[in-house]
Amino acid sequence: MKILETQNALLTNYEVYQHILDTQRRAKNQKRRLPGNLATLLTEVVTYLREKPGPLARQNETGTYTTEVFAQLIERLRAAHFKKSDIVKGEILNIFNIRPGNTAVLSTILEDMGERFTEEEQERIVEIIIEVLGQEPADEDGAEQGAVPSIENGN
Amino acid sequence: MFILTKIADLVQIAPEDFGKQSHQAIEDNINAKYANKVVQKIGLFVCLWDILWTSEGLIGQGDGYANVNVEFRMVVFRPFQGEVILARIANQSREGISLATAFFHDIFIPFSELPDDTEFDPREQTWVWKVKGGDEGEGGDEGEAAEEGEGAEMYFDNNEVVRFQVVSEEWHDQAPSGPQESADQPASELLPPYKITGSMKAAGLGCTIWWD
Repeated sequence: MKILETQNALLTNYEVYQHILDTQRRAKNQKRRLPGNLATLLTEVVTYLREKPGPLARQNETGTYTTEVFAQLIERLRAAHFKKSDIVKGEILNIFNIRPGNTAVLSTILEDMGERFTEEEQERIVEIIIEVLGQEPADEDGAEQGAVPSIENGN
Repeated sequence: MFILTKIADLVQIAPEDFGKQSHQAIEDNINAKYANKVVQKIGLFVCLWDILWTSEGLIGQGDGYANVNVEFRMVVFRPFQGEVILARIANQSREGISLATAFFHDIFIPFSELPDDTEFDPREQTWVWKVKGGDEGEGGDEGEAAEEGEGAEMYFDNNEVVRFQVVSEEWHDQAPSGPQESADQPASELLPPYKITGSMKAAGLGCTIWWD
C-alpha cells in the first residue's frame, strides 16, 4: 500500500450518503454480497447520517439535498456581499453537513463570527441557509425527546 | 468530515474470483482489505470511491493469483480541526464525556472543554450545566433555560445527540508490544488507534435540543 495523496478532496455528507446508497443498490441489483466488514460499516454510516437532527434525516421524504443546492448556496452566499470577510471552504462544507437553523449554531461553524460578520449579515446567512437547504421541522413529538433513541417508524 | 484519499496498491485476485467481472473483483478485494480499518495519520477507511487506473493482471509462479496494480480513491472518515459534528453521549465520568457515532466510538470531551459552571453529579453519573439566571447570552431563544427563570440545570444525559467541535486527534499504532519480562508487570493498556478530542464549550455546542 502506498498513499499517493492524503487528501485528494473533501466530501460532504450528502455525497457520501449517495455513494453508499448507490453501492448498496448496485450490490442488491446484481444479487451480490458485499464483504462483511463493508456491509456492516455502510449500514452504520447510513444510520448515523440519517439521525435527527442531521439534515439528511428526512432526505427520503423531502429530497431537499440535490447536487444543485450546493452551487445554489455558494452562489447565494457570494451574492450577499459581506463587508469584511467571506465564508471559507471548510465552513461552507460544515454548513452543508450541519445546516444551522439559527445564529447560535452558526457561530460554532464560523470562526470569530462576531468580528467577521455584522448581526444583520449573520441573520442573512441563516435566512439563505433556510431558504436553500430547508430547516429542521418543529418537533411535534416533543414529549418524548428524551434520552431514549426512538426508532422512526421503519423508513 | 469525510475526505478522499488516493492510494496505490497491489491487488491479488484469487482464482475463485475469476468468475467475477474484473472491476468487481478489484472493488471487493479493496473493500475487504480497507473498509472499517484505521490507517495511522490517514483516518478510518469507509469504502472505495472510484478506481483511477489498473495494470494488466499478471499471474506469478507458484500460485494462481492474478496480480493487478491499482490506483484508487477511498472515502475516509477524518474530520478536520474546528469541524462541528453530531454524535451521541455514550458514557460519562469525572474526566469528561465520551461520545460515539454509529460507526466511530473514540471521541472524548475532557471536562475542561465543557461550558463553565458545569459540574459532575456523582449520583447520576452525569455532567450538569448550571446556567445562571438572568443571563441573556444564550443566543436568543433559550427554550428550557428561560422558562425556569432563576438559572436552570441542563443535563448531559446519556444517549442525547450533541454537537461538538473537533479540537485535536491522537494516533496510536496498534503494533504488538514485545514479550513482558516479568509476570507481575501490568500489561500495557491498548489505546484506540484513532481518537478525537473535542469541545462543547462554546454557545451552540452541546445537546442539540438546547439550541434548536
